[in-house]
Amino acid sequence: MLETFWILLTGILVSTNCCLIGVYLLLRRMAMMGDAISHAILPGIVIAFLITGSRDPITIILGAGVLGIVTPMIIHFFHRQIKLHLDASIGINFTWLFALGIVLISCFTKKIDLDQDCVLYGEIAYIPLDLWILGTINMGPKAIYVLLFTLLLNVFFVVRYYRTLYITSFDPSFGKAIGIHTTLWSNVLMCLLSLTTVTAFESVGAILVVALLVVPAATAYLLTNRLHCMMIIAIFFGIVSTFGGYYLAFYTNGSISGAMATVSGILFFGVFLTNVLKKKLFLRHKFLSKNIKKNL
Amino acid sequence: MIIPAKNPIIEIHDLTVAYQTKPVLWGIDFTLPKGGLIGIIGPNGAGKSTLLKTIMGLNPINSGYIKIFDTSIQKVRQRIGYVPQRESVDWDFPTTVFDVVMMGRYQYMSFFSNKTKDKAIAMHCLAKVGMDALAQRQIGQLSGGQQQRVFLARALAQEADLYFMDEPFAGVDAATEAIIFSLLQKMTKEAGKTIIVVHHDLQSVRHYFDWLVMLNMHLVAVGPTHKVFQPALLQKTYGGKLTLLHEVENLLQKKNINPREHC
Repeated sequence: MLETFWILLTGILVSTNCCLIGVYLLLRRMAMMGDAISHAILPGIVIAFLITGSRDPITIILGAGVLGIVTPMIIHFFHRQIKLHLDASIGINFTWLFALGIVLISCFTKKIDLDQDCVLYGEIAYIPLDLWILGTINMGPKAIYVLLFTLLLNVFFVVRYYRTLYITSFDPSFGKAIGIHTTLWSNVLMCLLSLTTVTAFESVGAILVVALLVVPAATAYLLTNRLHCMMIIAIFFGIVSTFGGYYLAFYTNGSISGAMATVSGILFFGVFLTNVLKKKLFLRHKFLSKNIKKNL
Repeated sequence: MIIPAKNPIIEIHDLTVAYQTKPVLWGIDFTLPKGGLIGIIGPNGAGKSTLLKTIMGLNPINSGYIKIFDTSIQKVRQRIGYVPQRESVDWDFPTTVFDVVMMGRYQYMSFFSNKTKDKAIAMHCLAKVGMDALAQRQIGQLSGGQQQRVFLARALAQEADLYFMDEPFAGVDAATEAIIFSLLQKMTKEAGKTIIVVHHDLQSVRHYFDWLVMLNMHLVAVGPTHKVFQPALLQKTYGGKLTLLHEVENLLQKKNINPREHC
């Protein structure tokens, strides 16, 4: 029972983090940047692991964090200096970094206990096993504290600098004109994204974190036209996916993170179809009422 | 022909701007007067928008310097308003008309400040452009002319002294153009603001602007519209294409000639 609680809490923290940042990624048309970072941090994790030999969350976050900050820099460098399109630049850079990580894992995996599947798909079910024990007191899983710290940081920036992030996302040239340092804010967002991805990676893996970054935000985008509502709705869908995913995995005896991503996908299509149906009904209603008026 | 302004609000000296290694503006050197509606005209690719953005400090400068209010742009940001090109933003962004106008109050507001006054100013500015009824509308539901008026209201909310507008008349209908022009005129004539507008429609130039910058990568002419807006300088600005048009026009003006026969 306690295990279930820790797993669900981890899921909620991860999805809330991802949704807060994901909304901005979506609106800045950088959704694939999350994909890029989540993959490109792999060599950082492996190298940190090879150097220290520990699977401590802090070590992993430091190793991944370096790559998480360097990757957007490399991508933007190619985009600005060589005039490569952003999507092409993302495609080139994250793939070679990710591949490097795979090569490193496959070369050294015999010596060290680092599982390819675990890195790629994550294993949220193991979260309750890695406990933080202070003296003799059991403080709960370590991952929870890391995720809580990330959440605090994300909430601080998103709430305190709401207007700044809103202006730089909607109209960067206007933002620059009124004296906002737009590049700085773009970098701040990239750092938050890196931290979010890195901390989420342990529980949902490098691949599925993309689903939580993009899908709930996209679902919310279909339902509202206010930025803060979009964030709240995205978080709501993220949490629903967490619960839905956990119980789906429980009954099918499958991967929890996979089920979470699947549920969030189903929610997106559900909302999309409801929207289409609503529009159709609305149009038919209009058409009918026009015809009735004509006949009268 | 470069006519210096008596009481300059902007001074540009020997400005060169390049993208990568390709120069866009060459040796630009002029002053602009305080007050009035100032137009920047020139053909496509002449560097009109680049000049505007460079003056506002949005583009890096390769050589030369720019002075606004006799100092650098960084110190007077609060006195400057900006209307970017309408196409430069995503109109499907989840936000309302009112929120966009509130962006203009950014520099006046802090996280903990009381925003009642700023909200009132934003509403007042929306009323000035006749959009107050649509304050809570999502921006994607607006027509092109309405979008342009929202941008204008946001600039008004900035309460600046000097405004830069990038093609505010592009893609709006005649009625909206008239509304916008009368508003700009009110701002310059009654409130003594200076407004610099990138413009592309030559027909309205004489009617709209007090002062004109004619540009084609290098500076062709600067001065009061009635002095610089003349065929010789226009030809120099627009090159061959306009020459041809001009000749056709001259031919047509000679009443007895039927253009078809003449060919």
